Amino acid sequence: MSDLTLPAWSEPFIGDNRSDLTRLRPIPGLDRASVFGDADGTGVRVAIIDSGVEGAHPDVGGRLVASVRVEMGEEDPIVSDDGEGQDVVGHGTACAGIIHALAPAAEIISVRVLGPDNRGKGAVFAAGLEWAIEQGASVVNLSLSSRSDAFFDVFHELADRAYFANVLLVCAANNVPGPSYPSLFASVVSVAAHDLADPWAWFYNPNPPVEFGARGVDVEVAWKGGGRMVATGNSFAAPHIAGLAALIRSRHPDISPFEVKTMLAATAG
Amino acid sequence: MTPRRPSPAAVERLLAAIALRAEAARRLEGSGVGAVLRSVVEATVALFEAEASSIALFDPATGRLVFEVAAGEKGQPVVGLSIAPDQGIAGYVFTTGQALALSDVEHDPRFGREVAAKTAFLPRSIIAVPLLDERGTIGVLEVLDKRTSAALSLRDVELAAVFARQASVAIRASRVERDLATLLASTLRELAADAADAADNRATIEALVARAVASLGEGEDAGPWRLADLVARLRDADPAQVGLVTELLEVLERRAVRSARARRVARGGRAAPAAPEA
Repeated sequence: MSDLTLPAWSEPFIGDNRSDLTRLRPIPGLDRASVFGDADGTGVRVAIIDSGVEGAHPDVGGRLVASVRVEMGEEDPIVSDDGEGQDVVGHGTACAGIIHALAPAAEIISVRVLGPDNRGKGAVFAAGLEWAIEQGASVVNLSLSSRSDAFFDVFHELADRAYFANVLLVCAANNVPGPSYPSLFASVVSVAAHDLADPWAWFYNPNPPVEFGARGVDVEVAWKGGGRMVATGNSFAAPHIAGLAALIRSRHPDISPFEVKTMLAATAG
Repeated sequence: MTPRRPSPAAVERLLAAIALRAEAARRLEGSGVGAVLRSVVEATVALFEAEASSIALFDPATGRLVFEVAAGEKGQPVVGLSIAPDQGIAGYVFTTGQALALSDVEHDPRFGREVAAKTAFLPRSIIAVPLLDERGTIGVLEVLDKRTSAALSLRDVELAAVFARQASVAIRASRVERDLATLLASTLRELAADAADAADNRATIEALVARAVASLGEGEDAGPWRLADLVARLRDADPAQVGLVTELLEVLERRAVRSARARRVARGGRAAPAAPEA
């Protein structure tokens, strides 16, 4: 089994492989104390584009401030209010719980893009992302992506728009090679899982496509119905980086997405 | 020099012959995809030492995910069930394309309630990976209750993805064949409808031929080419397998010869009785 060549974009972040990761040359004055200080996420809004967020779950800490759902209308996706927030799977609540544990004062916006209708799901994802950018979320957590080439342009335009609107997109990498938008774009922060149990351990990989490795194996996460679960996957690594990015943006409100990325890379380890 | 244009009748005969062969290939392959998918879930169960493994495919006609095959004693009841594509772990993985592994599932009694109620099986751990083709996610492979260890690793997820890839390749091949047959059928229908309208015949035929040739050029995985490819691959088979295939082909050949002879006899039958009596 160990001889199999696996499509493992998490591979650089696993076990002994981490010793091959190049560390950035230290940037004077940029260490964890200066980057994070005692930030708690105050003043930062994090949008979670996922299966919804259960606002009443204890792990979300009452920080869910807005909740919308995106569904396919006659021709175009429609964004509508989702009340107090519900999660049709549990996954979005898991992401919210991870972000809240790292940045407890950050506000959370839920953008539910999973509906019973599979038609036009790329369009629904894109509309959810566009809405989050228009809301001025500081950080957007995307544990999903589109594999359709038809949406390359759409997501590329949205990733650029986010970048220039000072919105940081944090995207879970897909474990399967091939197109995956927007997680493969250079302007986003792409994340795969490492196998350490420490939420404060993350790694920078200068070799594309996946730049960051964060906790994503055997993570105890919130789930729907007030439940909890132990989960593994890149989609649980992304919210760890999103939480750290929320802390950075809380302490340094005026910096741009590439500066957040630089700080994450400089303090990786 | 203008190439000689084939007559509409010749084109129609050619297209009909191709359609026939594509259909024949599809029928020969008919149970092949199911067999490959079953072997994938069986291998998955064996390798993971899991209680069950299943593959659910999206059915565009109903808009639901349908569990097509399963292996493992506890997997069987799931076959034939369908779920909405946003429901549960399979739905999430299908909609987002993100692979997941979950353990300690019993912490949430509401988890997977609907399917669990129908199958009387509530798994403690699940690995779910997407089945992907060039256009996106087409289904989900699940591994339930890996027995050797309660904890699941990224390696488990990635290994499951390798099996999902095998299933995707088999499904893709079968869909290419079906698409080719559909294309040929619609082309023939157009040709038949237009045959009465001689004025536009030449342009119509040109378009039809161009389309047919283009589709054949693209369809390297399609019916006749796939058969040729399978035969070519037999070069690498061991002697026992070659012997088996040869025997099968000989049986088919004998049947074909017999049925051709029977047709000839049937055709000649009406005229023949005069001779013995003469």
